[in-house]
Amino acid sequence: MIQVNNLTKDFSLSRKQRRELGDEYKNSKTLRAVDNISFECQPGRIFGLLGPNGAGKTTTLRMVATMLKPSQGSISISGYDSVSHGQKVREQIGFMTGQTALYDRLTPTEMVKYIADLHGMDKNAFQKRKDHLFNVLDMHSFAGRRIARLSSGMKQKTSIARTIIHDPPVMVFDEPTSGLDVMTSRAIMDLIRSCREEGKTVIFSTHRMGEVNQVCDDIAIIYKGRFFYNDTLDQFKEEMTQPTFEDEFIYRVGEA
Amino acid sequence: MKFLTIAKKEVIDIFRDRRTIIMMVVVPLLLIPVLLGTVFKITKSMAEKASEKQLKVQIYGQEYAPDLYQAFADMDKVIILDQIPTDSIQSYIQQEFLDVAIHVDSDYKVNIAKNGQAKIRIQFKGTDSFGIAKDRINGVLKKFENQIVSERMDRLNLKPEVVRAYNINYEDVASRQEKFGKIAGGWFPYVFIIFGFMGAMYPALDLGAGEKERGTLETILSSPASRLDIVLGKFLVVLLAAFLTAFLALGGMAVGIQSIPDIPPEVLIVINGVLNLKTIVLIMTLVLPVAAFFSAMLLGLSIYARSFKEAQSIVAPLNIVIIFPAVIGTLPGMELNAITSLIPVLNVSLASKDIIAGVINPVYMAEVYASLFGFAGLAIFWCVKMFNREKTIFRS
Repeated sequence: MIQVNNLTKDFSLSRKQRRELGDEYKNSKTLRAVDNISFECQPGRIFGLLGPNGAGKTTTLRMVATMLKPSQGSISISGYDSVSHGQKVREQIGFMTGQTALYDRLTPTEMVKYIADLHGMDKNAFQKRKDHLFNVLDMHSFAGRRIARLSSGMKQKTSIARTIIHDPPVMVFDEPTSGLDVMTSRAIMDLIRSCREEGKTVIFSTHRMGEVNQVCDDIAIIYKGRFFYNDTLDQFKEEMTQPTFEDEFIYRVGEA
Repeated sequence: MKFLTIAKKEVIDIFRDRRTIIMMVVVPLLLIPVLLGTVFKITKSMAEKASEKQLKVQIYGQEYAPDLYQAFADMDKVIILDQIPTDSIQSYIQQEFLDVAIHVDSDYKVNIAKNGQAKIRIQFKGTDSFGIAKDRINGVLKKFENQIVSERMDRLNLKPEVVRAYNINYEDVASRQEKFGKIAGGWFPYVFIIFGFMGAMYPALDLGAGEKERGTLETILSSPASRLDIVLGKFLVVLLAAFLTAFLALGGMAVGIQSIPDIPPEVLIVINGVLNLKTIVLIMTLVLPVAAFFSAMLLGLSIYARSFKEAQSIVAPLNIVIIFPAVIGTLPGMELNAITSLIPVLNVSLASKDIIAGVINPVYMAEVYASLFGFAGLAIFWCVKMFNREKTIFRS
């Protein structure tokens, strides 16, 4: 379970960055990327974090994954505080982004073993889990080939395997389908759905309303670092005033 | 112990990279011997050419000193010219149609006869190969002068002591190892310092900026490994690459020296005596902290950069910063003292010179180690700080 309370993130701005950001930040020394947001992700449910580019989605998820420290507020994952128990939190999560983020000179087996070793998995547990995942994802035929020589689909399968090799109870997906073709995107969406079926806590960010409609149970819409919607997807559908999800999203962002 | 997992993975990753292997193994083990061999061969052939060269000499006023003229004419590999007008001498020498012009004064004979000094003016080009023209002419003149002085002494019934008040006998107590260490010793550390730096450079860029650019940094940042684990794991691999490259550069030099065909055997004996196991181990103990300093510094800069390309442009000027003290260390007269032993890179260069020469001052050596480990520690501390700064890690 993920519990986020009054989360805020400020980034200090250099003089050059202030100039680039324009008049609004002329006299400001910081940029507030995330502004006092609170939400809860339950096990067995998928929480969708929606927002346009630069809204604060990645910053929020990086704080959840302990890569960034909150300026204010707190994050608790499976009961562990993200600041005081960073390592415990990272043991609980699987983190995946749209970029495949793999090491080209390793093989899929080595890549997955590396992450398993970082999670302290013992040899037998790793072997069992790896065999299971490689069967499910049909990876055996290219398991010993260098990642640089794999097709994008094979790479994505490797990326999925390395994200879930340690069977984490919490999954964090940061725009996981960004830049991917339809087939690969579908594989990722299937993975997200299977995580729910396994009772995992799932948070994923996207700016595609179609994906939200496919898999989400709960959604929050973030814009300029603030939440202006945070409820169930069913409730969102009930409150819709526009004909499609996409239209509704654009309408709400425009209103914000 | 997660840093060992990271280090293990980085070793596999880096050693599968062709560029790393070329920089770490191929360049030091192949390029150094080839370069050394080529330089020796070129030097030798140029020296041979210069000594075998036919010297073109014109003597002006030969009628005033016919015996001297004859001595020059009797020299080996000399062509005596007599057609060049006086006002064209300079341009002939400049264009290398003439090597030496010797001007004998009209009162040569008179001055010699009355025990005076005869004036001889010599024009030559100082940039000719190895100054051999000047040396060969001087040889003849010196021999002739000694002969005249000897005749004068006999005539005046004087002993040689009259003109040579001192009987100086130089006794050099420096061993051949010491001489070699002081003269050539400076170049050994120069080579492995540069190679140590170059060996650390590519892996540091790849493991810092390269990882950031590829997006793989997030993969390990979201793993249970702490930032310290990540830095230590990467640092150890960069250090290993730097150390191995420096070590192989030393090996390349040893191979290169052994494979030079015409190296005088007495020089080879000295070199083999100098490059023994003890010397190499001592030098490597200096290379280790300096390589740690380079590795941490380069890794810190690399993680600061947004991309591999930016990292390259940040790191490139550092080459000069490293080369400068290394070159200073090769200069004659530069010695290890209380101040120079504290300056990183320069102290390695000078301390290695002393180690090769076999004259180690324990106090200065202790200072060198303290300085190197101190700077390496500071660089590692700074590197860890860089990895802990959100602004650095996610700089975009």
